[in-house]
Amino acid sequence: MRMCACSAAGRADFSGPTRATLALTVIEVEQLRKTYGDLTAVNDISFTAHPGEIFGLLGPNGAGKTTTISCISGLLTPTAGHVRILGHDVVREGTAARRVLGVVPQEISLYEDLSAIENLNYWGGAQGMRNPLLRERVANVLEITGLQDRAREPVKQFSGGMRRRLNFACGIVHQPKVLLLDEPTVGVDPQSRVRLLDLVRAQAQSGTSVLYTTHYMEEAETLCDRVAIVDHGRVIAAGTLAELRSMLSERDLLRLSGVFQPDAARAAIEHLDGIEILQADEGLLILALPEASRRLPAIFAALAAAGADVRGTTLTQPSLESLFIKLTGKELRE
Amino acid sequence: MTMGFLAISLRKDWARMRRDPLSLATAAGIPLVLAVLITLVFGREPATPRGRLLLADEDDTVVSNLIAGAFSREPLGKMLVVEKVGREEGRARIDRGEASAFLLIPKGLQHAFLLDQPFRMQLFTNPSERILPQIVKETLSIVVDGAFYLQRVAAGQLHAFAAKGTPTDLEIAQVSVSISHLATNLDKYLNPRVIDLETEVAQAKTAEPSFAAILLPSMLFMGLLFIANSLAGDIWKERVAGTLRRLASAPVSMAAFLASRVVFVAVVYGIVAIAGLVAADKLAGMPVPSLPAAVLWMAFVGTVFYLLFLWIAVQPATQRAANVLSNLIIFPLSMLGGCFFPFEWMPAWMARMGRLTPNGWALTEFKAILDGNAGAAHLAASAALLAGVAALAFVLTLRRLRRGFAV
Repeated sequence: MRMCACSAAGRADFSGPTRATLALTVIEVEQLRKTYGDLTAVNDISFTAHPGEIFGLLGPNGAGKTTTISCISGLLTPTAGHVRILGHDVVREGTAARRVLGVVPQEISLYEDLSAIENLNYWGGAQGMRNPLLRERVANVLEITGLQDRAREPVKQFSGGMRRRLNFACGIVHQPKVLLLDEPTVGVDPQSRVRLLDLVRAQAQSGTSVLYTTHYMEEAETLCDRVAIVDHGRVIAAGTLAELRSMLSERDLLRLSGVFQPDAARAAIEHLDGIEILQADEGLLILALPEASRRLPAIFAALAAAGADVRGTTLTQPSLESLFIKLTGKELRE
Repeated sequence: MTMGFLAISLRKDWARMRRDPLSLATAAGIPLVLAVLITLVFGREPATPRGRLLLADEDDTVVSNLIAGAFSREPLGKMLVVEKVGREEGRARIDRGEASAFLLIPKGLQHAFLLDQPFRMQLFTNPSERILPQIVKETLSIVVDGAFYLQRVAAGQLHAFAAKGTPTDLEIAQVSVSISHLATNLDKYLNPRVIDLETEVAQAKTAEPSFAAILLPSMLFMGLLFIANSLAGDIWKERVAGTLRRLASAPVSMAAFLASRVVFVAVVYGIVAIAGLVAADKLAGMPVPSLPAAVLWMAFVGTVFYLLFLWIAVQPATQRAANVLSNLIIFPLSMLGGCFFPFEWMPAWMARMGRLTPNGWALTEFKAILDGNAGAAHLAASAALLAGVAALAFVLTLRRLRRGFAV
C-alpha cells in the first residue's frame, strides 16, 4: 500500500515560496526529470532553497537523491525540467553556475598520494582561486576541519573520518554560495559525524545554502530546516519538520508482525476508535493511532478474537521515519 | 585555460609522479632490461678462449725467436699469452695446470736448423684443456713443416749462414732477398694463375652502423610506448578515485584538464628523452649528432602516443577491459613497429609493413635524425602530420570524457 501526502499528480513545489523568499532563492529545481531508457530515476522533482538554509533530501538508497544532486551540479543533463543556481541555468550557463557551487561527493574523491594541503590547493585552483587568497583559505579550512596537524601527510595515511573531513574541506575551500552534500556521513564514526554536522551548520550560518542528502532520518531531523522525502524518484512529502510531523497528527506508529487474516484483522481494528490501518496483510499489520501504548491490550484482544497470532510488536513515536513508513508502507532503510 | 590552473595542475601531477615513481620507472625500465639482455645475447664479440703458453727458450737465437713470435701474432695473439720462463719453472707450472702448454726449446736449435740436422723440442700440454693445447700443437707442427720446406728450397743459403757463424745484418738481408727470388720463381708452379682479375677501386663503403646504433633507438621507442600506456592508464586511477567526477562539477573545463595533462606528459617525455639519449650516447656509444632535434622528436612523438593510448583507454567500460585492450594493441605494435626487434633484423617484408605502423614510421624518422639525414622541411611536414593526429585524438578523448567517462 502506498500513500502520498502530496497532490494527486505527485508533483508540487513544496518550498511554497513567497514573493520575499523568491527573491532570495539560491537553488531552484523545477520539474526535474532524469530517465535512463525505461528507468525513471528522478520524476518531476521541484523545490527551492534559500541562503543560510539547510534543505534535506531524505530517502532510501536508490530513491534518486544522488541523481538529483548530479543534475544540480551539472554532472548529468536533465531529461526535462530546469535547475538554476543563483539564476544561472546549470545546462546553458554551466560554468557560471558551477563557480558558486561546492560539491561534497558521497565517495571520498581525493588524491590519496597527495597531502591535505596539496589536495586543497588543487581543488581550490580548479574552482578558480589563486594565491594569496587560496593559501589563506587552505589554512582556514584546515583549521576548521581540525586537520592542520596532519596537513602535510599523504591522505592515504588518514583515518576514514579524517578523509571525510578533507573531502568536505575540498568542497568548501572556495567559499561556495551553494553547497551540495551527498550523504557525507556514510561510514563515518559517531565522533566524526558530529563534527561534520557542526561544519555543515557553520556553513549555513555563514549564509551558504546547503542541500543535504541522507538516508539517516536522525540527521535530517537534527540538521535540516526543511526536508523533502524522496522515494522512487518522487518527492512524496516536503516541508519543515513541524509541517511534516503534523501529517502524522501526533500519532504513534504500531507495527504488528505475526499471522493474520487480513480481512478479519481489518474488521476487528475498525471497531476500535481513532485507529488508521496503513497496511494489512498476512504477515504484517501497520496502524497509526494516538497513545498506542495505552491501547495495546484492547488491540491485542480484538486481534485475538479475529484469529490473529501476534508475534512481534514495534511502537514508533512520530518522526520522519514513521512518516516515511506511513507514506510508503516500508522502512527508510529497506 | 588559465595559466594559473595549468601551473596548479602541473604541480599536482608532478607531486603525484614523485610519490609513485614506480609506475614510470617500470614503463621505462622494461626496454632497458630488454636492451641489456639482447646486448648480452647478441651484442658482444664472439667469445675467444684465452690461454697461456709458457716458453723456455734456451737457444735464444733468431730462429728460436721466430718460433716464439709465431705464437704472438694475430690471430693466435688474441688467444694466447706467451710468457717466457725457465725450464724448471715451466715444468713445475704446467704440472700445476697453470698454463695451456709449455714449450721447451733447448740450446742448438738454430745451428741444427741451418745445417739441416735433427733437433728435438719438447711441448708439454695441459690435459685439463682441450682446445688451446691443440692449437699450440698444430701451430708448432706448421712451423716445423715450414722449416723443413725452407731447408729443402734454400739449403745452400742456410748452409752459408752456418759456415759464417753469427751473420751480419747485411748477410741476413742478402739471404732474405735470395730466398724471396727463389720463392718468386717457384710461385708460378705453386700458384698457377687461372683467372685474370681486373682491379677496380671501389668507393669507400659507408661504415656499418654499430650494434648500439641499431638497437637503442628501438629500445627508446619501446620506452615511449610503455610510458604512454602507463600515463594514459592514470585516467582510470582518476576515475576510480572520483577526482575526475569532482573535477567535472568544478568550473574549470575538461579541455583545460586534458590540456594540462598533455603539457605534463610532454615535459615528462622531454626529461626521459634527454636522459635516454645522453645515456645511450655516453654509456652505449650510440651517436646522437643533433641532441635537441632528437629530444624534441621523442617528446613530440611520445605525447602523440600518449593521446592515442588515452583515447583507447577511455573507450571500454571497465579498467580491466581497458588494460586488456591497451595490451592487445601495444605488444603487436611494438613488435611489428620495430620497437622490440629493429627493422634491420627483420625480414624485408616485415620491416616494410612495420614502417607503416605509427611507431614504426616515427622510429624511421627518428633514425633519420640520428643519421643526420632528416631535412628540416621533411621534419616539419612529419611534425604537422603528427600534430593533426594528436589534435584528433585530443578531441575524441575530450568528447568521451564529457559524455560519460568522467561522471
